[in-house]
Amino acid sequence: MSVEITERKQSAEGEARCPGAPTTQEIIAADRVAAPGWVRSESYQYLGDEDISTDRYIEPQYARMEMERLWTRTWQFACREEHIPEVGDYYVYDIGPYSLIVTRVAKNEIRAYYNACLHRGTKLRASGTLGNASEFKCSFHGWSWNVDGSNRTVVCPWDFPHVDRKKFSLPQARVELLGGFVFINMDPDAPTLSEYLGPAAKAHIDAWKLEDRYVYLHVSKRLPANWKLAVEAFLEAYHVIQTHPQVAVSNGDANSQYDIYGEHVNRFISTLGVLSPHLYGKHTEQDILEQFTLGDSGSVTGTKRTLDDGRTAREVMAGMFRGMFEKATNTDLSKVSDSELLDCFSYTVFPSLFLFPGISLPMVYRFRPDPKDHRACIYEVLFLRPVPVDGKRPEPAEPVHLRDEQSFKEAEGMDPGFGAILDQDTDNLFLQQEGIEASAKRGLTLGNYQEIRVRHFERSVEKYVAMPPKRPDWERSRKR
Amino acid sequence: MGAFEEALTGNLPDHCPDHRAVEGSFARVLPAAELPPGAKKAVEIAGKEVLLCHTIDRLFAVSNICSHAQEKLECGRMSKGWIACPVHGARFELATGRAMNPPAKQPIATYPLRVVDGWIEVQVQA
Repeated sequence: MSVEITERKQSAEGEARCPGAPTTQEIIAADRVAAPGWVRSESYQYLGDEDISTDRYIEPQYARMEMERLWTRTWQFACREEHIPEVGDYYVYDIGPYSLIVTRVAKNEIRAYYNACLHRGTKLRASGTLGNASEFKCSFHGWSWNVDGSNRTVVCPWDFPHVDRKKFSLPQARVELLGGFVFINMDPDAPTLSEYLGPAAKAHIDAWKLEDRYVYLHVSKRLPANWKLAVEAFLEAYHVIQTHPQVAVSNGDANSQYDIYGEHVNRFISTLGVLSPHLYGKHTEQDILEQFTLGDSGSVTGTKRTLDDGRTAREVMAGMFRGMFEKATNTDLSKVSDSELLDCFSYTVFPSLFLFPGISLPMVYRFRPDPKDHRACIYEVLFLRPVPVDGKRPEPAEPVHLRDEQSFKEAEGMDPGFGAILDQDTDNLFLQQEGIEASAKRGLTLGNYQEIRVRHFERSVEKYVAMPPKRPDWERSRKR
Repeated sequence: MGAFEEALTGNLPDHCPDHRAVEGSFARVLPAAELPPGAKKAVEIAGKEVLLCHTIDRLFAVSNICSHAQEKLECGRMSKGWIACPVHGARFELATGRAMNPPAKQPIATYPLRVVDGWIEVQVQA
């Protein structure tokens, strides 16, 4: 039976749900190992049904406004704490023309310095790099700064009687830590990260304890679409039946759950190990079991998947995955629910960060505009694994930078099935970018429920772009 | 006369001159036990400044001098397969010497390394 959503009569705007299918919460409630509270809650809100104007994806002027208004005011994932474990370790985070040296200045203190010499402006470290420094020395004339940001050297100080070295400390952006992630914000007036996330979303993130995971795979690739189109390609499961038909057999796509939290966080929960409502009557539980796709399948590939009498594919997969993943990665998952093991939890922290706190699908995504082309963006996918129970934290994976024409399957360490999914997602993007530019219609039309995260995301974009420009302030950022 | 010079100047047996010539060019520089994973040590071999690096899983011998501004690399951060210059931040691939990021463009020298009888031996052409 194919599900025709349009046949259903809506009782109120945004209240329609996939007919004839269990809800996400009903599926999860039947699991053997029960899910925690952050899974078993709902927070949908109807936000209107107007089209989303498309000038934002194609106009260079819009991209410029985003850079001056949005990116200079929002909290952004810069790096993981494990990227800079020792004092003096640094990681250069770049966003558009802006660049920050994220540095551990003490065991429990991390700062983000604007990456420019205060003499004639040369970057103190090249973009996209990391290392360790006892001082940040400019490669042009040799002015240098201590790791704590204070000025260390002015070469030929007799020629600079007008420079007060005490006032020539490196200016800083704000830094906050959460779940092992280092966040930065260039706006001195921005809310704290906790306020920015809101209490509900913050409680979810706290519960995941992502600080106890490490980066075991990191892949980046340039995508031929505006950064917002790339973000939106990952905000719903509505596309699964058409874009990823191989996944739909084991994915509750049309009955996924969508939630929004405040202005900066939203999520979906998309259950796995269950048949897509689009395919009801066309597949058996054995089909579901055999076609189950895992993001982190390295520990369970090659295993014969057998369905015992009376057990569901979801139940069998949860048990199988729990045992084999624990063994392969030396971790304890005995208290982790079936849902957390299997399901796809996709959260976004506006504007650029996706967090997937599940175990089978343990990704982090980051999207940043290509600073030289508003019709392109930089996409990164990181896989996080629990730190082994012996407590020894592996070094974070080195990034694999794919060329434009390469498949995600070519990245060493990437699960081939998951790489194929990412290829399918990203292969749509250049067609969408070009189609929007070619279209006689100047707006995107969104579903009320399944595409609420797209609307929620774009509302925040519009909010920030409507603000006045805000460039980093030398005086105020020096006083941090 | 050090081990390296001895190896270069020692008389080769007539029956296997080529083999001995390659083998003999390795200099014995450090007990392997003195360079645990995560450690680096700067040594001088035949007048060249060489940095021995033990990453999490492999030993390397590379030039200790950054190709960008001739600073010493020995205090730089070493991670999976690379070392970063502590002064201006250039990074080099330990296996090949390739410059991974600005401000360096040129590679650094790399040297064959082996462990024999618990000793790290490095081959540096004079």
